[in-house]
Amino acid sequence: MNGLTRAWAVCAKDAIQELRRKVAMVAVFFFAATALTLVSFAIGPFGLPAADRPALEAALLWIILFFAAATGLPRAFVAEEEAGTGLALRKTVPAPVVLAGKTLFNFVLFLAMAAVTIPGFLVLLDWKVGSPLAIAVTMLAGGYGLAVVSTFLSALVSRAGQRNVLFVLIAFPLILPLLLTAISATIEAAAGGFPLTALRVLVAYDGAATCGAYMLAGVAWED
Amino acid sequence: MPTTIAAENLDKSFSGARLFSGLSFSASRGLVAVAGKNGSGKTTLLKILAGLARPSSGLVRVQTEGAPALSAAERRLAVGWSGPDLELYAELTALENLRFFRKAAGSHTDAGDLARRLAEVGLPPEVVGRSVAAYSTGMKQRLRIAFATLFDPPVLLLDEPMVGLDSEGREMVSRAIAAARQRGPVLVASNDERDFIEPEQRIELGGIRRPEA
Repeated sequence: MNGLTRAWAVCAKDAIQELRRKVAMVAVFFFAATALTLVSFAIGPFGLPAADRPALEAALLWIILFFAAATGLPRAFVAEEEAGTGLALRKTVPAPVVLAGKTLFNFVLFLAMAAVTIPGFLVLLDWKVGSPLAIAVTMLAGGYGLAVVSTFLSALVSRAGQRNVLFVLIAFPLILPLLLTAISATIEAAAGGFPLTALRVLVAYDGAATCGAYMLAGVAWED
Repeated sequence: MPTTIAAENLDKSFSGARLFSGLSFSASRGLVAVAGKNGSGKTTLLKILAGLARPSSGLVRVQTEGAPALSAAERRLAVGWSGPDLELYAELTALENLRFFRKAAGSHTDAGDLARRLAEVGLPPEVVGRSVAAYSTGMKQRLRIAFATLFDPPVLLLDEPMVGLDSEGREMVSRAIAAARQRGPVLVASNDERDFIEPEQRIELGGIRRPEA
């Protein structure tokens, strides 16, 4: 059985657990809905000057997506340690396989959240999207980067004290370049262009984050 | 081919306090009793042997006769382990738990084989379909034994295997140990001398000695 099948088993296990207890899912979707509602009431579709709208809308969208994701994605490995199941998992499954499976689950969770948040954003803020394809590609590239970095950091802090504070402190410098690039790509995509340069940077970030995470997975979680 | 588990000069310290030092032993078959007072390091020793914790210094070697020593990755499935710290997924059923670990480890997932293993530890079909969250302490302990033996490991490490079990459960564990000690080494850590049935070797933490003939 290859690594992908084994990683899929970890992802499917996480999905079944999540569907039965609904901790991360409820937290992520509730945060996204609350933030979206607050933004729409505070700013509304006509509360922003036309010239500032593309940049502010893109920034607001990614702020909502990032903070909503931050309520659920870091639970990947932390939940294993809190439940005491980390020992059984470490005993039977290599860390890179676990990381791959949990990254996949977090990526799917992010996409599901984006699929709910973006239509709400379109309606409540009257967001104009010039190139839906470019937005979709930006969400895929940005969401994957967010998933892989969050999952890796979850492994890194899962057995530490004060893990929530530690996660935020480490995540901030690592995720900031991803968010800035994703916002830049979203502005261009909303204006109808295809943000090739920004997407190249996102894909390069995703590649580097994936390589780094897999090389360090064992050190982060097993040692 | 017998498989040997050997420890060479194991040291373990926590925050400067030495738990044990210079601990060496080798076992190829039979029961090894790991005894000692509370806090003497029995659980830690078994976790080190299972690859779940690192010693401060020293080596653990698992080797089948005529073959090179197993790597850390190969030891993962070759050494079965269960202990009081071991928790399985509460949201999944017993069958789903075993199936998941088999699949994620890259092993076959024959449902009949898994059901048979669960029945052998005293978890009948009407129980294995329930979430582990609904299990009693004894049922969880039976599931831990099924987990420890899931990959038919040549080396078995059982930390307090009788805890929470009724007399029928204790008999089941005794049978599992009796079968496993015929194939390879079985290390049992316990505070209860009744858990050590005619051990071939004894590790008394703080000093290793062979049982008197």
